[in-house]
Amino acid sequence: MECTVRSQTGFDLLELGGEVDLQFSHKLRETILGSLKTGNPLLIDMAKVSYIDSSGIASLVEGFQTAKTSKLQYGLLNISNAAMQVLTLTRLDKIFDLHSSTDQFKQKLQ
Amino acid sequence: MTAAQKLLVFQFPACAEQMGCLRQKLREALAPCGQSDTVVNNMVLAVSEACTNIIQHAYGQSDKGDIVLEVEWQNGKPGCNVTGSLVFRLTDFARHKTCAEEMRSRPLDEIRPGGLGCHIINEVMDEVVLRDRESGKGNVLELRKRL
Repeated sequence: MECTVRSQTGFDLLELGGEVDLQFSHKLRETILGSLKTGNPLLIDMAKVSYIDSSGIASLVEGFQTAKTSKLQYGLLNISNAAMQVLTLTRLDKIFDLHSSTDQFKQKLQ
Repeated sequence: MTAAQKLLVFQFPACAEQMGCLRQKLREALAPCGQSDTVVNNMVLAVSEACTNIIQHAYGQSDKGDIVLEVEWQNGKPGCNVTGSLVFRLTDFARHKTCAEEMRSRPLDEIRPGGLGCHIINEVMDEVVLRDRESGKGNVLELRKRL
């Protein structure tokens, strides 16, 4: 799993890639919650996610809830087919704020 | 494929580090079935979720052991509108007796982390049967996907 946070103007971008499963989901959770602690909105780029299981999805949901409580924008960007398949199965595609470009997310920040 | 054909028998230690290897073995075993990527991905995900449940809940923190995954193709009965079924049988040797309640899906309108694995298994598979091992400790989970 690759999981890197890059600071952008007005928000943090988390680039997520590879296989997100039980072995790595705790690292994803720590990264998401650590980023949200800084008080910045968070956008998670999921274009390179080749596999994600329910433990990875749980980390994304925890981030979603934390952001909501902290009144921070939180979105998912460029979701790969593999990840979208799991979001659809769990009906979370209707819950998360999904984006196809960073500009779309930036508009929500204004 | 013949009437009943064993596609894979794989025994591995029940730990998170093994899950990548499990998925690879499973994909290789399912390749001759000629199913779409979506169907294969869903089955791999569901079996992986079942293994995760065994690691986290059957063995948990205080127990250690293996999981045996058997994959079998079974032809459909004559007159039946399905070609056949893939059966995924997961055997563990844990002290904990898994009960049917633990395999139930939770309501998806509760937006909270956790508890989605059983929903995925039940959504992807056509039959989920849990039973005790016939001899000794452990559980057998049988997942069936009709194709």
